[in-house]
Amino acid sequence: MIYEVNVIRLLSYLVSKGVVTSSQLSPPLQEGVRGLPSLTNSDCIGIECAQCEQACPTSAIQIEQQAEHANVRIDLGNCIACGLCTSICPTATIVNNPSTRTAQSEREHLIIQTSLPPVNTGAVSGGGGIFRRSMAVRVVSTGCSACDLEIGASGNPIFDMERFGVSVVASPRFADALVVTGPVPKAMHEPLRTCYEAMADPRLVIALGTCAISGGVHKNGYTEANGANGIVPVDLYVPGCPPHPWSILFALQMAMQLKARRS
Amino acid sequence: MKVDSVEISVDARANKLRALLNDDGGRLGLITSIDGQQLVTLVLNTTAGTASAWTSRVDGDTYHSLSTVIPQSHWYERTVWDLFGLKPKSHPRLKHNLLHEPYSASVIPLRTGAIAPGGDNHRQYHHLEVKGDGVYEIPVGPIHAGIIEPGHFRFSCLGEIILNLEIRLGYVHRGIEKRLTEVSWRKARFIAESAASDSGAAYALAHAVAIESIFGVEPSLRADYLRSLTLEIERVAMHIADLGGIAGDIGFLAIASSMARLRGDALALGELLTGSRFQRFFVCPGGVVHDPSPKSLLQIRTRAIKLRKDLVSVIDMFLSNQVACDRMQRVGRVSNKLAADFGLVGVAGRASGIKYDARMHFHHGAYLELNPKVAWTEQGDVFARVRVRIDELARSLELIDEILERLPSGSSLLDFPDRLPSNQIGVGIVEAHRGELIHLVFTNAEGHVSRYAIKDPSVNNWTALAIAVRNNLVADFPLCNKSFSLSYSGHDL
Repeated sequence: MIYEVNVIRLLSYLVSKGVVTSSQLSPPLQEGVRGLPSLTNSDCIGIECAQCEQACPTSAIQIEQQAEHANVRIDLGNCIACGLCTSICPTATIVNNPSTRTAQSEREHLIIQTSLPPVNTGAVSGGGGIFRRSMAVRVVSTGCSACDLEIGASGNPIFDMERFGVSVVASPRFADALVVTGPVPKAMHEPLRTCYEAMADPRLVIALGTCAISGGVHKNGYTEANGANGIVPVDLYVPGCPPHPWSILFALQMAMQLKARRS
Repeated sequence: MKVDSVEISVDARANKLRALLNDDGGRLGLITSIDGQQLVTLVLNTTAGTASAWTSRVDGDTYHSLSTVIPQSHWYERTVWDLFGLKPKSHPRLKHNLLHEPYSASVIPLRTGAIAPGGDNHRQYHHLEVKGDGVYEIPVGPIHAGIIEPGHFRFSCLGEIILNLEIRLGYVHRGIEKRLTEVSWRKARFIAESAASDSGAAYALAHAVAIESIFGVEPSLRADYLRSLTLEIERVAMHIADLGGIAGDIGFLAIASSMARLRGDALALGELLTGSRFQRFFVCPGGVVHDPSPKSLLQIRTRAIKLRKDLVSVIDMFLSNQVACDRMQRVGRVSNKLAADFGLVGVAGRASGIKYDARMHFHHGAYLELNPKVAWTEQGDVFARVRVRIDELARSLELIDEILERLPSGSSLLDFPDRLPSNQIGVGIVEAHRGELIHLVFTNAEGHVSRYAIKDPSVNNWTALAIAVRNNLVADFPLCNKSFSLSYSGHDL
């Protein structure tokens, strides 16, 4: 008897909470929430200022003096979204970017410059065709666990990645995509390579988070933790430290389109 | 907190340390070295809230191991061998901890100067083999089935019973301690905080306290309150995540998914306070980087009250389920004696009767004015760890309310000079959600950081997991593991 009472109570609690899953997909971050930096048309003072370049903990920013204007160059693949540059820039050339649609399929497109228009990732729709609407993902963690926790959160009732057909699987043998988090230090080079080799072709590799893209704060040390590239070929880059679950969901939907194109 | 420095001969350490551990309030903080010429033993007095560093000169590259008399030193001695090339003689099970086979034998990352000749430093690793009829091994990892950090578990089993578990870590060794000596102190916080981001607020705070103690300055009371706020929000979010994980591991999915939803509410508190779900880059030496708006502080308070109400009903449904409780009782037990021998900390220690919570003893945040209340019990099983977490969760949510009620006004950030004072030792001891976290910092004559040592709470508790699963079912391992909730990255650094 006591079990039935418990079950009824539990069910009525769950029903009372209603649907918590968000219907708006990858919306911009809320006011006051820190995203990656972006550049505006407002003129940068140039190398006399360069406070952002000096403050950046990962040397992701370079100011180049050109004939008339100074060019600001930020490698988002190195950026840990600490917010120092946006808070000290006196000319509002570098501002906070609330967008969660930040993934790129080319490494160079993560480099933004005031002299060049940014590469827009564009919209994502589902896969293509009725048999191309799911993606099995294998996650290999090699870092501090923040990105892992955000992938976990992407599967919670609020973000719910499974509604797009994305599932996290326990073996590379039946995975379509390999998600790498963390800077891949030396002891993980071989396990990561082995995992990739165990996957069936066609396969995708997603470098999730700034560490997996470039090594982030860890790069160029004795542990050779310089990211996934060079160990496995990366198809999609998701910058952030860690990327927001909406950025992760956006990237996974993008990956499904890449997958549809390649297979 | 400033650290007293005491010279002690390397052979006198065993007796002194044994006497200290028998004293009330004596604790071993960590064992490390600065550059490979000495051993540094950080000892704590929890009654007085003080710390001292015993420096013992080592001639050559070997010394006598303490592990046979003081079991909790075994893990530190393995790490010191890897990072400094100092080899403990008659260590009961000496193996490399952080540097694996791919590293050449000549890599000794934190040793300065040449290593003495004849150093035997090959990298091969042999698991303990359990022999006998019907004994078989299950290797797991380094890449795990779910979304977790990497590590290797080698189970030796008889039937369905685990006879021995050997845990091999070090896969995410990123060289953080070395990197922290290579950058200016202003940039160091970004690296210190990236060591283990699920404890980011605690790491940032331990770093800040250590740097402030080197400058000999304390932050404003307002900053202290805001720092306690970040620490309690992190504790709430992670305890909810761990309780949800445990519910998931016993198949109670309604509770697991409710906890996943509620963890989102806890992260939202941190996002309101700092602009980041993981409260990243908010706490810094000198205080906090920006003062949150009164509007967000008000929102945090109302949302925390709502979260507390919501949690009460979910936890009540969890604990009133007899099957769920039965699955957690008498599983993965750690006795009080073993918990004391291995110096367990945090939830795992308190569930085995170790009444130690660093918030009560060492100055960080505003805990001198707030009473965190130590939650503890003696059973030492999975259920005990769940109960301790639940009690702490309730208390942390009360603390969030008290902090916001009493938040003092004033400035929340002090500035420091670019150069650190010379020849100082500073320490930050913080109660992270996993337990006692230590950052120990040495500066040299030029005012550079010459050594930055981190002791994550998991360093103490990984051994406890290996002990707890003995004579338990293989199938109960995930449950035991989750109940300890250990960090790989915090251990590996």
